[in-house]
Amino acid sequence: MNAVNFLRATFKGRKLATVGFIWLCLIALAAIAAPLIAPFDPLEIDPVGRLAKPGWPNLFGTDHFGRDTFSRAIYGARMTVIIGMGSVIVALVAGGAVGMLSAYFTRLGHFLMRGVDVLMAFPALLMALVLITLLERSVYNTILVIGIVYATTTARILYGMTLKLKGEVFVDAAICSGAGHNSILFRHILPNLVSPLLVQASFIFAFAQLQAAALDFLGLGLPPEVPSWGNMLSEERIYITRAPWLLIYPGMLIVLSVFSMNLVGDALRDSIDPRFKDDIAGV
Amino acid sequence: MALLEVENLEIAVSSKGKLLPIVQGVSFDVDDNETLGIVGESGCGKSLTSLAIMGLLGGTTVRITNGNIRFEGVDLLTLPEKDRRTIMGNRMAMIFQEPMTSLNPVYRIGDQIIENLRQHENLSYAKARDRAVELLTLVRIPNPGERVDSFPHQLSGGQRQRVMIAMALSCDPKLLIADEPTTALDVTVQKEVLDLMADLQKRMGTAIVLISHDLGVIAETCDKIAVMYRGRVAEAASTADLFTELAHPYTRGLLNSIPFVDRDIEWLEAIPGRVPTLEEELTGCAFHPRCALATDLCSLIVPDTSQFKPGHAVQCHFPGKVTS
Repeated sequence: MNAVNFLRATFKGRKLATVGFIWLCLIALAAIAAPLIAPFDPLEIDPVGRLAKPGWPNLFGTDHFGRDTFSRAIYGARMTVIIGMGSVIVALVAGGAVGMLSAYFTRLGHFLMRGVDVLMAFPALLMALVLITLLERSVYNTILVIGIVYATTTARILYGMTLKLKGEVFVDAAICSGAGHNSILFRHILPNLVSPLLVQASFIFAFAQLQAAALDFLGLGLPPEVPSWGNMLSEERIYITRAPWLLIYPGMLIVLSVFSMNLVGDALRDSIDPRFKDDIAGV
Repeated sequence: MALLEVENLEIAVSSKGKLLPIVQGVSFDVDDNETLGIVGESGCGKSLTSLAIMGLLGGTTVRITNGNIRFEGVDLLTLPEKDRRTIMGNRMAMIFQEPMTSLNPVYRIGDQIIENLRQHENLSYAKARDRAVELLTLVRIPNPGERVDSFPHQLSGGQRQRVMIAMALSCDPKLLIADEPTTALDVTVQKEVLDLMADLQKRMGTAIVLISHDLGVIAETCDKIAVMYRGRVAEAASTADLFTELAHPYTRGLLNSIPFVDRDIEWLEAIPGRVPTLEEELTGCAFHPRCALATDLCSLIVPDTSQFKPGHAVQCHFPGKVTS
């Protein structure tokens, strides 16, 4: 099954998810080619042209420092992708390791999973807030904090799936063929977890955006000079009556992106989950 | 010295703080080029015995509480895990009951055979692949050159069991343990798989331990037979001896409950009652509540293993008293 066929199968008959996927591709393109697309330097201050209405040459208007909102939004896409990918990697690696090891080494699991339970008892945002106040504001710490928050759910999911896989006959067969713990965990169990991990990744990516925006809005996320959608909302919120476009554009970007990611995540899950797969059901 | 020697094996399950023995005093040995059949109904401990030999009773609830298992003179129970792994899949291999789930669904079947080969033998990938195709030819998979790249779900149950056999045989094992290898297959495929195993045994001189609840399958393929009932070996003898003169009433009962095509009978005889559960306290012979010949002695004292004839062991107070 190659990539094109897979995409075709995933998005076939799903118009909304297809639109979401295209939207995400555009965001990714903006992130990669931000310096080429953005007409202005996102950090350049122009006190004379502050709070300009959307038009030409400032497509989305300018903020209270006179910075070009469109350019900042484009660079914000870059932050979106970095935060999303970073959080996904942290969450999957940390959560995956905890979940798999806990399920495989049952005694270790008693300790690790109780720790996960404790962390899960905190609301996600509250836990992120506590962690971020212990660290300083930076892109890396934001990624780390959001990653840890979603590592707990990932650990839970992988714990269950690994427990189930551990009881499969092919694992017994692997033990019988003389495979060691490493080989069983990484060569026999992990490849079976790729699909659920992929689905989990798409949802973490979406939720990480919301968390990051919320942290930014509360002034605890990325440093204020970094152009991100959350920071834009946070900084310009006092101008909501004088220059509503300063909030509408980044707000719309966040909403549309998160919505798209969820749609794509749903589509991915449906196409990966064998219960929805027609080529396995036969006929 | 026999290839595999199991001596006084005892396996217990811990339930509600108590240790309940599920396999007791099981002893047998298997020589090179010999097939031992272990037969018995569900829950008699035959599968557990095979899992114990393969070292798959790793859990805390079911464990070996007594006995020895020696393979080529080496005690497997005290052998360090690392050394054990060099034997597993190499000199000793296992085939499982469910061909549907015993292959890893995310790997091509060739890669699974190759992995096993390369784990134990110093082979290049290309060489191992050639070996894998050879093995698939050996187990009569059609189009082995193409099939080597198939995923398990693209194969039928019988084909998957053949792949499992190919995998088990990949390193020329001295001993093959087959835990109900044909139970999940339909009768014609069952015959093919059994023929294949017998054929390969003739060619490679592998010893086989065949576990089954099908006395017909066992009678046809095995050199000697151990009949298990509720965790004990009720009767053990060579196939010829066992069927010429039955010594244990349970074996008689098993035989009587097999329908034969060429016999015209009104009623199929069944063994009355059911297997007592593990929790039920039972004194004396485990079979006495269901045995037509039981006396007070049977309900009080567990019979020792005695030699009914040379090479024909039986656990019964009245061996050979069975009538048909």
